[in-house]
Parts: sequence; structure tokens; C-alpha cells
Amino acid sequence: MLSILQAEWYKLRKSKILFIIFVGPLIGLFLGLTSNLSIDVAINEWYLSLFSMNLTYALLFLPLITGILASIICRYEHQAGGWKQLLALPVTRGKVFIAKYVILMLIVLAIQLLYLGAVYVVGMIKGITDPFPLEIVWKSIFGGWVATFPLVALQLWMSILFKSFAAPFTVNVIFTLPSILAVNSERFGPYYPWAQPFSMMYIGGNTDDIFFVPWDQLLTVVGGSFVLFFLGGYLYFQRKSV
Amino acid sequence: MEYVVKTKGLTKNFGKEKPVTGLDMKIPKGEVYGFLGPNGAGKTTTIRMLLGLMKPTTGTIHIFQKDLRKERVNILKRVGSLVENPSYYPHLTAYENLEALRKILGVPKKKIYEVLEIVRLSDVANKKVKGFSLGMKQRLGIAASLLNNPELLILDEPTNGLDPSGIIEIRQLIKRLPAEYGMTILISSHLLSEIDQMATTVGIVTNGKMIFQDSIEVMRMLSQQKISLKVNNSEQAWRSLLAKGIKADYKDDTVLLSEHSNKKIAEAVRTLVQDGFSIYRVEEEKRSLEDIFLQMTRGGKEG
Amino acid sequence: MIKKLLSSDFLKIKRKGFWFLTFLGPFGVVALQMVNYGVRKDYLLQQSDNDWDYYLLNVSTFTPLALVLGIVILTSFMASLENETNAWKQLISLPVSKMSVYLSKFTVLAFLLLISSFILMLFTLAYGVFLDLGEEISYFELFKFSFYPYFAGLPILALQLWIATVSQNQGIPITIGILGVIFTYSAFILPDWMIWKWPSLINEWNEPIINVLLGIGVGCLLYIVGMFDFTRRDVK
Ligand SMILES: Nc1ncnc2c1ncn2[C@@H]1O[C@H](COP(=O)(O)OP(=O)(O)OP(=O)(O)O)[C@@H](O)[C@H]1O
Ligand SMILES: [Mg+2]
Repeated sequence: MLSILQAEWYKLRKSKILFIIFVGPLIGLFLGLTSNLSIDVAINEWYLSLFSMNLTYALLFLPLITGILASIICRYEHQAGGWKQLLALPVTRGKVFIAKYVILMLIVLAIQLLYLGAVYVVGMIKGITDPFPLEIVWKSIFGGWVATFPLVALQLWMSILFKSFAAPFTVNVIFTLPSILAVNSERFGPYYPWAQPFSMMYIGGNTDDIFFVPWDQLLTVVGGSFVLFFLGGYLYFQRKSV
Repeated sequence: MEYVVKTKGLTKNFGKEKPVTGLDMKIPKGEVYGFLGPNGAGKTTTIRMLLGLMKPTTGTIHIFQKDLRKERVNILKRVGSLVENPSYYPHLTAYENLEALRKILGVPKKKIYEVLEIVRLSDVANKKVKGFSLGMKQRLGIAASLLNNPELLILDEPTNGLDPSGIIEIRQLIKRLPAEYGMTILISSHLLSEIDQMATTVGIVTNGKMIFQDSIEVMRMLSQQKISLKVNNSEQAWRSLLAKGIKADYKDDTVLLSEHSNKKIAEAVRTLVQDGFSIYRVEEEKRSLEDIFLQMTRGGKEG
Repeated sequence: MIKKLLSSDFLKIKRKGFWFLTFLGPFGVVALQMVNYGVRKDYLLQQSDNDWDYYLLNVSTFTPLALVLGIVILTSFMASLENETNAWKQLISLPVSKMSVYLSKFTVLAFLLLISSFILMLFTLAYGVFLDLGEEISYFELFKFSFYPYFAGLPILALQLWIATVSQNQGIPITIGILGVIFTYSAFILPDWMIWKWPSLINEWNEPIINVLLGIGVGCLLYIVGMFDFTRRDVK
């Protein structure tokens, strides 16, 4: 398993992946530095900064970029019979699928951590003197990460299915855009998987739980869609003819 | 002589890499020009430059006596080509693939059926190319190259992926075209045996340099036999031949005669017999074209 | 020459979902308002005196996003079409100039997006009439919100087509496209000179026509830059 992981990572390193990973924090910096949200209530200034940054980041950027990452990790295989080559090696398809998924989740985690760095840098540049709300920020960063579990699974499935980058991206866009409306709705928002990164990163949410959304919502919506998409992709890959 | 293709000092650099250096290529009209060289020799790079896909770093290309830089479009109207792996649109049928090209070339529709017939794909004309085998895709690529009745046909390893009967068909087709339509053909390969069966002129390239360019007859001359003599004491026999003024080589305990006219051989044998040597064997040693090719290309590498 | 290339390009985009996407974009934009008005029509009708203008405004919040996403997707699809089996080399070996090859690709995409804008206008009108928003249909506003973003978005089309055609790895143009989507979504805080702001029709003078004119002008400029870079490059 470890060797498959290494092989996948090796292939990725040559795919301009760093450029894509660093777009995350850049977007964070852009969003943070251009926002000028201000209210008169005495509130930890970090909250304001996070609030405005997280909105666009979690709503659009995070779901969309997962699709690109998934397509990139399948890029070599789609070129000139790469699937044949990979699967002719002494590896099981299941392990290949899991290895690709694990690498993707690690990269998303890296992007989240870099985004955290961007949040901090924005605060420094703006000269925020309030104490850094570490606990809340961690919740937000990890929550956002957990929320991408099902999204990454679906995108990996789509990326194995389609050769081009544009096709899985289209699927991603079709599901991601409605979350702009969904998060405004108390009825639909909690049940829409693509709105979960936003909900999980939304620092105004319920703070008693581990994350910003209640456990049952996390388990049913994120967990449920994860199982669905992961199994879907896994089973599809088992049967894909290469 | 009228050259259909003529390059002068053709050179291409990719940064430090120099896949083609100072290449002079001359293809006379109506010839089948075999462009030979080992993997990575620079054949495809040269062909890309001939089609204007890549700009030469230095050097000039004239096709039909016209400067490629200035009249690319006019030249390409009279050229058909297949470069490396065939290109196609997988979601379209074989017919639609050719139709997409035909629309640009502006030839009549019946030409599509004609070329499909030539490469024997008529039966699958309405199947998506996605499901084609490698050889079928290759045939489609060849069909595409014939669509505009080209005067110059450039084929980069056209028999790649074809089955034996496919190879024979294509070979016969290539031999037929110059005679029937006055086409000039440039065909690249790293297999000499293949070129040997089709080409009338040969150019051998290695490490980006043209190391041989002449008619296939000249090439065959090079492969002509040498006469080897097995004698009881070869080294002494060799010395005594040299002493009599007969050109000979000594190698691996055999004496090799450079001259191979009947008269000279008889003279050498007579001399040796008179000098008391026992002659066991007189053999003709034929070098295959393969050997010459290897020797030439190896020489190029050392140089 | 360009006419032949166009008819060939329109043949190639068959069965690849181009037409479907052309329809899906505007449908999606209006469908989101169907959901919006379906869920809380009464509330939305209370928000303004002129229900038609308010409705058009609602529709138009998603138009720039859909337009930019559509551009990113269609340009990348177009490039993949030729990249997949490296058909560029076959296409460029034909007796056509590289400039006209590029022009043809751009024209096909610009045409599809124009159709999209037209469909958007029809859908917007149809659902507006269905909602029964009153007699006074502001046809000019309808036209403006349907077609102005298109013209203002031409520089993005030129830029994305350029990046997509010269990239071997389609991850690059799509990632840059996502950046553009984020910019477009944040249009209200962008400075006026950024091309991703223009489809939202916002500017400091409150004159949408400026964005249209800028779009056409800068679109041409970026188109020319992209085309020359395309012709300059070796075909793999
Ligand atoms: N775009 C490029 N960038 C850098 N190097 C290249 C490029 N294209 C070709 N080369 C190099 O140029 C050399 C010649 O390649 P070319 O494809 O012309 O060889 P070839 O004679 O066609 O070989 P083969 O018989 O394998 O097809 C190779 O060493 C190759 O690595
Ligand atoms: Mg080659």
C-alpha cells in the first residue's frame, strides 16, 4: 500500500500540483485583504476577518478545487493507456482507488493548513491585536476538511469515468453552484452535501459540538453522501474496462 | 534534377538538445524515399519541420521549389501526411472524421468512400473510432493522408501496429502510388528490411545527421559480397598475397579479398596454390543491409 | 478558408455535450430563480415596487458566474478535443493558416455563448411571464441583463481560450478559471480594471455600457495576443 501511495505522489509531483495547492492560500489572502467588513459591536476582530474570508472560500473555492485535484491524480492514467499500465502491475484496483483517495485528502488537508496560514498573515497585515481564537479556527479548518470527504469521493469517481478535465468539472459546477442558494435556506442547506464545507467552516454556528454543525447532520449528510460516492466510485473502478 | 523536397542545413534545437543538425535532404520527383534511422534519430522532428508544425532553428526547406516559410498553405494543399501516432476524434465515426478534414480540404465527398475503400475500412465507416483497434486507427490515418490527392505523401512509420496482411497491403499501395498518380513519397522507418522492399531512394539519419543519401542500388552495392579464403596458414597466405601485389585483408584467421571479379579471384587462388598453401574453402560473404545500417549508424554515434 | 474551418469545427463538437452545455447554462440560471421564487415568492415580491426589475436583478446575480464557468468549461472542452489524440498536428498539417484555426475555435465558442445569452433571455422572459410579475415588462433591461454580460465577458473568453490551447495539462486553465470565478463572485470589491468584474456590469460610474465597450475592446486585444502566441508555438 505504501509503495502505491509513493508512486501516486511521485506522479503528482510532476503535474504542477504545487501551483494548484498554492492557489488556495492566495485566494485566502485576496479575500482577506480585500474585505472591509466592519461592524460597531465589540467582537474579536479575527472573527470578522474569518467571516468574510470563509464565505467565498468554503462556498466556491474548496468544492471546485477538489475536482481539479481529482482530475490531476487521474491524468497520467488517462494518457496513452496509462490505466492498462498501472493495473497490469501487481496491485489491486481497490488499493489503487484508496491510495488515490488518501493522497487527495492529504492534499486537501495541506490546502486547508495553508489557508490557515493565509488567515494568520491577513490578520498580521491588518494589525489585528485581539487574541487568536485558536479553538474556533481549528474547528473551521478541520470541519471544512471533513466536509470535503464526500465531494472528493464523487470527483474521483467522475475523474476516473471521464477522460477530459472539463467533464468532471462540469459535474462539480452543477452541484456546487446551487449551494449559493442552499446556504440561505434553513430547510435545504443542512441536507445539501455541497453546502457542507460552508456550514462546517461557518464560525457563527453552534459551538458546543466538536464541529460547527450538529453530529447527526454531520453523520447523515456528510457521512451518508461519503459512503454513497465512495462506494459508487470504488465499485465503478472495479468494473471499469481499461 | 527536380527535387520535390530540398532542405539545406536544417537544424532544430530544444534548449540543449539538438535532435536535428545541419540536415540536407533531397527527394527527387516520383521516388519513394525511405527515411531511416534508429529511435530518437530525429526523423519525426524533421518531418514536423517539413509540415510547418515546427519552425527550424536554422536552415531552409523548399517543397515543390517553394519556400515553406513563405508559402506554407499553398504547399500543404498538395501534401498528405501522417505523423507518428494517428490523430482522430474518438467520438466521431470514421466517416465523420474524414468529413471533418474533407470540409477543410474542399474535395468531393465521394473521395471519402474512395480512401476508405483503399484502406479497407468501408465496413466500419459508421462506427465510432473510439472502438477501433490500433491497426484500424492507423489505416484511418493513412486514409486521411490520401484524401486530397497529394503530390507528396509524408508517412511517419505508417505500418506501426498493422498486422502482416495490413503491412503487405500498405506496402503494395505505397509502391503503386508513384506509378499510378506520379506521387512522391517520404516514408520513415527504423526497419531497413521494410524500406528495402519499397524505397527507391534512401536517406539514413542518426543523431540528427544525414549519414547516407542515395539510391537504393548504391546502398545495395555497399552490401556486396566479399570473398573469404580459409587456408591452412592464413596469416602467411595473406602476407604472400600482399607481396604479390594482391589486395587482401586478414581477420579472424581468414583471408578476405577486396576485389571480387572472377579474374582476380582466380589469380589469388593460383598464387596461393603455387606457394604451397592448402585451400580449404573459398566463400562469398554477403553483408546484409541490416549490417550496413548498423555499422553506419554506429559510426555516426562515435563521430 | 474560415468558413471551411467553421463547418469542420461544428462537426467536431457533435456528441461532445457542447450544445447541451449551451442550453444548460441559461437553464440553470433561471432554474435557480425558479427554486428561489418557488420557495419564497411572497417574500420576494414584497422586496420591491417593480417586481420585474427585481426579478431581473435576481436572475442577473448568477449570470456572470454561469458565464465565466461556461467559458472555462467550453474552452477546456474545445482544447481537449484536439489534445486528446494530439489532433493539432493533423489539423495544422492541412492547408490552413494557424491564425484561421485559432479564429475558428474562438468563433465557435463565441457563437455558442451568444446562443446561450439568447436562450437566457427567452427563459428569463418565459418564467417572468409565468410568475405574473405585472404588465410592465422592461424589455430593455431584459436585453441588457441577457447580452451585456456576454460582451463584457469576451476578454475572459479570449484569455481562457489562450491558456487552454497552449496548456498540455488542462488542470492549469481550469484552476485559473476557478480563480476567475472567485473574482467574479467577489466583483463588488474588485477594482474596475479587472476583467472578471466586467460581466457583473458594475463600475464606479454606474454605466453598464462601459463594461460592454471595454469587453469588446480588451477582448479583441487579448484575442490577438493569444492568437499570436498560438501561431508562434511549435505543434507537438
Ligand atoms: N518537443 C521536444 N522537446 C525536447 N526534445 C524533443 C522534442 N521532440 C523531440 N525531442 C527529442 O529529439 C530527439 C529526436 O526525436 P524524434 O522524435 O525526431 O526521433 P525519431 O527519429 O522520430 O525516433 P523514433 O524512431 O523513435 O520515432 C529525441 O531525442 C527526442 O527526445
Ligand atoms: Mg518518430
